[in-house]
Amino acid sequence: MKRRQFFKAAGGASLLATTGLINQPPLSLMDLYAFSGNANLSKVEARYYNKHPDREIECVLCPRFCKLGDKERGYCGVRENMGGIYYTLVYGKACTVYVDPIEKKPLFHFLPTSSALSIATAGCNVNCKFCQNWEISQVRPEQIQHFDFPPRTVVEYAQKHKSPIIAYTYSEPVIFYEYMYDTSLEARKKGIKSVVITGGHINPEPLEELIKVVDAIKIDLKAFSQDFYTSYVRGELQPVLEAIKIVHKKRIWLEIVYLVIPTLNDSPKEIRSLAQWIMKEIGPDVPIHFSRFNPMYLVKNLPQTPVSTLERARRAALDEGLNYVYIGNVWSHEAESTFCPNCKNIVIPRKGYQIGKIELKQGRCKFCNNRIPGIWS
Amino acid sequence: MARSKVVVVRGKGVLTQEGDIHQEKLSRMYNRGLQILAGLRNSAEALSLLFKKNDRVGIKINTIAGRKMSPRPDVSLTLANLLEKSGIPQRNIIIWDRTNRELKDAGYHLSLNRSGLKVLGTDTDGIGYSTELTSHLNIGSLFSLIQSNMITASISLAVLKDHGMAGVTAGMKNYFGAIHNPNKYHDFNCDPFIAELFETKYIKKKHKLSILDSLIVQYHLGPSFHSRWTKKYKALIFSLDPVAADFVGWQLIEKFRSEKGLASLKEEMREPGYLKTAEKMGLGNAHLDNIQIIEEEV
Repeated sequence: MKRRQFFKAAGGASLLATTGLINQPPLSLMDLYAFSGNANLSKVEARYYNKHPDREIECVLCPRFCKLGDKERGYCGVRENMGGIYYTLVYGKACTVYVDPIEKKPLFHFLPTSSALSIATAGCNVNCKFCQNWEISQVRPEQIQHFDFPPRTVVEYAQKHKSPIIAYTYSEPVIFYEYMYDTSLEARKKGIKSVVITGGHINPEPLEELIKVVDAIKIDLKAFSQDFYTSYVRGELQPVLEAIKIVHKKRIWLEIVYLVIPTLNDSPKEIRSLAQWIMKEIGPDVPIHFSRFNPMYLVKNLPQTPVSTLERARRAALDEGLNYVYIGNVWSHEAESTFCPNCKNIVIPRKGYQIGKIELKQGRCKFCNNRIPGIWS
Repeated sequence: MARSKVVVVRGKGVLTQEGDIHQEKLSRMYNRGLQILAGLRNSAEALSLLFKKNDRVGIKINTIAGRKMSPRPDVSLTLANLLEKSGIPQRNIIIWDRTNRELKDAGYHLSLNRSGLKVLGTDTDGIGYSTELTSHLNIGSLFSLIQSNMITASISLAVLKDHGMAGVTAGMKNYFGAIHNPNKYHDFNCDPFIAELFETKYIKKKHKLSILDSLIVQYHLGPSFHSRWTKKYKALIFSLDPVAADFVGWQLIEKFRSEKGLASLKEEMREPGYLKTAEKMGLGNAHLDNIQIIEEEV
């Protein structure tokens, strides 16, 4: 690798540092150097698509069901029909690699204080107008620096950095499904857990297969109205709700994040409807995080979410009977901590990504012995 | 809005039996088309009317479909030659598309010659996309620096094709190749995205001329090449109105489909509604009553 390419690679990898998402140092430049060999796009056949006459294909990985002629790419921008065979172009081609605390995902009931080797490729199957990571999610893989980081190397790297978790995150892991799946399979052999941070825009069959090899899923529910999904996400709400139900039914760990955007998805009625739906469909013990919006990407005309709005949303969800309702992106708010719903004591105190003394014993509240759901060890 | 002129010049014998282009006949087609379009004596005068001597002119071509269904080098180089004859220095003319790979696959030799004609893709080292996001209505994209910075005036030179999602891809949709995320704009038959993208500052202010390469038209199963569904129409279509040019192209595609007993685009739920949207936005005419079609054979 030439010196110029080396520094270009380093610049690409520090992308997220400039977006304020990082609280731990990125991987060293030498690490990136090691991964940067031939960074051409991959050509690995996709697993979920149907072949049609005249070299046309239909992708069935996500609810878009892209129908594509020869040489065309799907909405995600990372899958291409080449002569009637559909390929993923990002298998083993990470554009972002970091070690994050698991709380940053956020997953609050999953191995707290653990670090997660976090990877992403370019691409996304929706186009949220408020995306925090649009520089990687809304581009094609050839438009940004990426690294050769095949599944086995990812797992070796997690071991080297003593990360018990690999997180597929930042962009939309559904679009690098094959890479994520094979890495999770490899990780499981080595006792490393896998977590998926997703918008949940995936069809049931691939989701159910994925669930077999991963350990937790966090789903970003962008709103509780199709209008919002149409206008601001360019996606469908119903498949996301179905995905939430499937993940819960299959009994792998699930948490939900709801980014509260002033005037767009923050009405008391919508929040209450959401909370009622969660109670009815997946019960009170699935954690939900109401996160603060910051102006970003194509929505820069709205203010940061007032803390009072987040507190009102939290209160509504608690009133509806949800047990674990958090406020996110508000430094040092008391609702970052986990409260025992029975005795109301704090069992996991948090300030940002710093965790205080955990008052759990074998998954139960030390004060009242109430079971706190989660994966604790 | 005033009536728009669309000139359809057919070239008898422009395609040889082997499918090659007869260079002299192609030049005559260009000359005649531009002459009629501008109502002037020759193509040099016509082009002088459209472009200033110090303009840097981009010829945006669409090469995604490879050698068999992209504007051939003969077609774009002849246009570049005419621009030069009209007084624009060769060094200020760029034939371009999004990637060097696609250009090469379509038969182009890349050229970065500082003092001569340039043929290059946005992914050429040192070019790339703007880091500043252009946001307009439903569009949020990074522009190719060729379109945003390098050129001051633009010609859309696109092969006329059927398109599985847009219905028709021609001069307006060609500009999807000027942004980093065209895959995000194919929902709803690309409507209103094609029109809204065209209205962005880097396109609307710079676009001067639409030329639809209709020597061979893909009228079904496009935009990729399927020989069974091509028509050797042997025409170039010229217009200063980007909407009218594509509207006339659409009518041709419907005609060829009908001749072969294929369903109309409307019946296939992929009528190019973006043309009506573009008309409503004041970008041009999308109704035959408002379009003057002049056909000629050379």
